[in-house]
Amino acid sequence: MKKSILKILSHLILIIFSLIIILPLLWILRNSFTNKLNAYKIPPEFSPIIFDNYIEIFSKYPFDSYFINSFVVAFGTTIISLPLAAFIAYAFAKFNTGGKQLRLFLLSTQMIPPIIIVLPIFSIYLSLNLLNTYLGLIIAHITIILPFLSWMLISFYSRDIFMIEAAARSDGATRFQALYLICLPLIAPGLIAAGLLGFILSWNEFIFVLILSGKATSTLPIGLSTLSTHRGVEIALLAAATTLTVLPALILLPFIKKYLIKGLSLGALK
Amino acid sequence: MSNNLDLSDRRFGYILTAPTVLIITLVILFPICFSLISSFFDYTLINKSFNDFIGIDNYINSFKDEQLFNSIFVTIYFVILVVLLEFILGFFIALLLNSITRFKSIYYFILLLPLLINPIVVGLIWRMFLHPQLGIFNYLLSLINIEPVNWLGDPQMAFITIIFVDIWHQVSFMIILLLAGLSAIPKEPYEAAKSDGANIYECFIHITLPYMRPVIVVTILIRLIFAIKTYDLVYIMTKGGPGDSTDLISYYIYRSAFISLNLGEAAAMSLILLVIIIIITIPLFKYMNRLD
Repeated sequence: MKKSILKILSHLILIIFSLIIILPLLWILRNSFTNKLNAYKIPPEFSPIIFDNYIEIFSKYPFDSYFINSFVVAFGTTIISLPLAAFIAYAFAKFNTGGKQLRLFLLSTQMIPPIIIVLPIFSIYLSLNLLNTYLGLIIAHITIILPFLSWMLISFYSRDIFMIEAAARSDGATRFQALYLICLPLIAPGLIAAGLLGFILSWNEFIFVLILSGKATSTLPIGLSTLSTHRGVEIALLAAATTLTVLPALILLPFIKKYLIKGLSLGALK
Repeated sequence: MSNNLDLSDRRFGYILTAPTVLIITLVILFPICFSLISSFFDYTLINKSFNDFIGIDNYINSFKDEQLFNSIFVTIYFVILVVLLEFILGFFIALLLNSITRFKSIYYFILLLPLLINPIVVGLIWRMFLHPQLGIFNYLLSLINIEPVNWLGDPQMAFITIIFVDIWHQVSFMIILLLAGLSAIPKEPYEAAKSDGANIYECFIHITLPYMRPVIVVTILIRLIFAIKTYDLVYIMTKGGPGDSTDLISYYIYRSAFISLNLGEAAAMSLILLVIIIIITIPLFKYMNRLD
């Protein structure tokens, strides 16, 4: 009896907690489909579902180019970082190359506040003409994504994988063949999860893009922050833009759910 | 196997490691060195040259700068409060989640959501909700007869609001990591304790906490280091104000660089911040070293 009351109480608290998290998100979703006036109305009124806001952020504001820029930068960063991270993680797991010091050095780069790195990068880019270019943004994002992915991938190379690899080697495969024909396919789920997480991290990144991008290369977070200051608070438009920005990460969530702990704890917890 | 590697193994390891180490050195260490050099010059956005060597003037000016100290204090308050509150709330929710089986995956899925949303979006959403006249929050409060609150207009209130929003955004981080730790605790000690007549509280103190210690330490330290980096939330919600009540250190350095245009002094402040970060990071690394 006492036990079941405790259970109900636990669920009650968890439901309230979940509502606090999800209601704001649902409210934004609702506002993105209302007309402008209804979005402002307090108390809220019922409003028919319309798509005007989504059309307007693409027709009146350059959200199509923000979208493309976000995609190019996040994709470019991930595509470059993932193989490099897979290689170094393999070397760490198998040969312990560079020892613990090198691994911690890589991790320590994650601890540095971005503002410390982005200011000198700004000055350097200014003289190299890399400001407001995709390449510049991708290089900057690699500083965050590459160490993160390297750490995350280490624990995917298990003893079993190296056993299979050793068998392939004794059948005459070269080191590189064994690595990319045996090991990489075997850690494919980890690679996919890490890649998606890297993509989301770059997609969401703000401070590097804020300082290093210009009109031509602004990504979604920049677009959102300019939209928000543009004409006061355009609730309905902002809601639509926000929904679109968050959408890719939410779509990818089920695929990375299992590996999130490894990523978030920088490999410290499994 | 890894104890006696032959030479070609070792070489292969270096080949795989080299590109990443090279890139990281180039895009992280080189800029930091650049900062170090520019911090000794009168280096501004208008005068971008290394002609005027001024020694440690930038550092002296930084240490004389009351605003910098204000932002360091604001950051310390902010970091301590968010980490502490997120830990307490996070641990509580993690314990609840660990005690149930039904609907667990639904709760879990919901609390993962904020982690994938970027701080700019989070800040914008809450700015809309907390708008004094147009926001839904004050309306909801009016339903239970509470006067409208100026959430972001009052210095003290703005600081509390920022902390609240950060908790909304980041508490899931604590929950997920602590829950991972909780679910890894073996069941046997609890059963043994129960047969000895221990109550829930005693189990928590004598079994849960000791088992959880490494997870708790790692989780808190990681969150601490990430909290120091907080920037976006303040940028989008308060711009450091009202006054300088939410002027977190990262935001203040940004302001010095791009509003007062003094890159040399901003570099000096960056390096002061870097030293602080290193001091905090060392215990985390020592701890992680012991864990493996």
